[in-house]
Amino acid sequence: MMTKNPKTNFLTGKKFPFCPGCGHGISINALNKALQELNYGPNDVIVVSDIGCSGLIDPLFATHTIHGLHGRSPALGLGVAMGVAQKQNKKVIAFIGDGGATIGLQHILEAARRNVDMTLIVLNNLLYGMTGGQISGLSTQKFKEIIDFEKDVPPFDLIQLAHASGARLAVRVNAPNKIKDTLKKAIETEGFSIVEAASLCPSYGMKRMNELMEVVEHENILEHKRPATKIIDRETNSLLEQANIIEPKYDAGLKERKGILIAGSAGGGAQSVARFLAMAGMYAGLETTMKGEYPITVGTGFSVAEVIFDHQPINYTGLDKPDYFVIVTEDGLNKIKSKLHKDAKIYIDDKLVTDELKSEFPDLMAVPFGKMANRKSTALAAVTYVLNKEKILPVETLKEAVSTHRLKDIFVDVINKVVES
Amino acid sequence: METKTSRKTLIDGSKLMIEALVRAGADTFVGYPITPSNWMYRYGKQRFPQFYAAPDEITTFQWMAGMSAAGRLPVTSSAFPGIALMVESINMAYAMELPLVVIITQRLGPSTGSATTGAQGDLSLLNGIISGGYPVPVFSPSNFEDAWELSAKAVETAVKFRSPVFLLTSKEMVMYQKSFDLSKLKPINKIDRPEPEIEGEYLPYKADDSLVPPFLPLGNDEHLVRITASTHDEAANIRKNDPEALANTKRLRDKFIKRIDELTIYDLDNQEGANDLIVTWGITADAARDALQYLRKQGKKVDLLVVKSLLPVAPVIYDIIDRYDNIVIAEENLTGQYKEILFGTRPVKHIKQVNKIGNMIHPKEIIDTVLQA
Repeated sequence: MMTKNPKTNFLTGKKFPFCPGCGHGISINALNKALQELNYGPNDVIVVSDIGCSGLIDPLFATHTIHGLHGRSPALGLGVAMGVAQKQNKKVIAFIGDGGATIGLQHILEAARRNVDMTLIVLNNLLYGMTGGQISGLSTQKFKEIIDFEKDVPPFDLIQLAHASGARLAVRVNAPNKIKDTLKKAIETEGFSIVEAASLCPSYGMKRMNELMEVVEHENILEHKRPATKIIDRETNSLLEQANIIEPKYDAGLKERKGILIAGSAGGGAQSVARFLAMAGMYAGLETTMKGEYPITVGTGFSVAEVIFDHQPINYTGLDKPDYFVIVTEDGLNKIKSKLHKDAKIYIDDKLVTDELKSEFPDLMAVPFGKMANRKSTALAAVTYVLNKEKILPVETLKEAVSTHRLKDIFVDVINKVVES
Repeated sequence: METKTSRKTLIDGSKLMIEALVRAGADTFVGYPITPSNWMYRYGKQRFPQFYAAPDEITTFQWMAGMSAAGRLPVTSSAFPGIALMVESINMAYAMELPLVVIITQRLGPSTGSATTGAQGDLSLLNGIISGGYPVPVFSPSNFEDAWELSAKAVETAVKFRSPVFLLTSKEMVMYQKSFDLSKLKPINKIDRPEPEIEGEYLPYKADDSLVPPFLPLGNDEHLVRITASTHDEAANIRKNDPEALANTKRLRDKFIKRIDELTIYDLDNQEGANDLIVTWGITADAARDALQYLRKQGKKVDLLVVKSLLPVAPVIYDIIDRYDNIVIAEENLTGQYKEILFGTRPVKHIKQVNKIGNMIHPKEIIDTVLQA
């Protein structure tokens, strides 16, 4: 192809820092030519590099450059690509060696999956050149047979892996005279492209190119038709605009700070009810806090929530000695048992009451919460019952609170039934 | 005090932080969810102009660094296990001088510890997180107003100082809800990032008296931008044992230390004649406020210092502490990490500590310690 922009040199002219005979220089020169022929300007190109012999390219490019950590150039490069995606005609080209490629293997697969426009060039010289020629995850079987090292472990096939992850273009190229055109095709590809280029390491690997050609994996080109992922900024709304502003409408029954502990099971609504209860307090002009506790596996086990009310601002939010316990399920009871104390009013589902519990807390109030509503609304029924009985807050405040919910009709019905009974 | 314009709602600290970060100009959230930082992730997905679900925390930070280098203002939130994975990348962004914000929601360690138990145990980690002992700015909210203001301050600091900035919070600050008057929130202005005017060649690490080099993003159409994490000169050429490069490395510390006043935030609640001072930070501040109120009601003259910019330590913190005969430092960790940063591990006669793990410090524990002092 004709050189469209022969005057632009994408190289600084600095002497290549590679060992005599090293194959990396071939790919560097090929990239320079490919960019010239594709008519890019230096300010359009961002070269991303990391650590190892392949990382020595950083000072060689007269483009934008960023030089980061070993094995991370595919991720750093994808970050840059996402960052410049809304600018015109910018191209991110990241380099990595075969050593870095296994450190950042997940970054490569993720970049392939994301398919944001960028090109990753893997300079594969089959070994770790900077630390003594140790084998890499891309060292081929044939190469390992020669050096008698981990012969039974096959190499990663980066091209297959990138393709399976969704790369628009994944190419392995071995012949030095094909690298430029392969890079051109990759750079022109819109989306994620990866080019694995075979590279000679004269210090620890093969001394001659024909020896290298005998041990490398076969060349391969794999493509997907999927379009490149578009990166756009979206408009969003303030999180505070959605806030439910609560104005006091009722008088609170309580005189001083009170803490209520609701103990139920996952899926039983304890967290939502505690939230409603906290809002109910605000409808009564109180300061309030609400805190939930549940296992990491949120769908099973206990679900415990604390609500504190006070006329004064609440600083410390701990609730060491709750004034009221509302215990709906066995999971909940087991979780909070150690917190029960004789000064508290303990309301508990009648089915959970044991002789032992009764003898320790003779004043506890056994209530058939389970019969007042279905499983999902038992906590709401129980809290309604306790509010009504103890006159902590007017029940109307709880109705106000649930009215913000999409299931308000069902909830109001539960509250009404408890009050009427 | 109720006012006619009060706008009370039931809200959590995570929501306030995410909203404040976006208003201040942060534009991208990248994250891998981890308890107790999940609410931030959820709100981040709703609110940020761009949101990315990264496959792990190293990828998270590398994407953020790349985006930041390209001119965006990314944020992530995590907890110790995730931060541990990010450490090398944090060093990279620090050396590259990339603005971004990291929220750490502290939980009980070591290791996975207890994911849903709060703590104040990651301050020591941040104090030594940069290899070589270079300081990172760390802000720690002590209540919801702080959650709002310090989030904006973190964005401003990241841009102004070209640096990763940390918001150090705790499960108890961001995963509970409280009645809160939104009208108390101060307006936040979006940080202005005008492109600097460069005459001649752009040297990406050449700083003026501000000690912070002017920032141009990768992909700039006028100037080539070079960014590197390796020891480098002003032009970002990698240099070893080179005076210019070592001076550049030292500048990474100096830019914070010489401009420490711009980073210093604290509340001192003081009264005439007090000889006792409670010092605290983060989640323990609320217990300290209750303790202060109680002690003063009992006629005890005692003051309270809530430190909100923890690192680097501002000299004024020592000046304040030096005015008192008896000091009580309260924080929810095993050994008193802030105390150790201020005074080392050697016990200091007039300094008492209130430390605890597994639960928030109770006001009574602070009260008892002050009365013993």
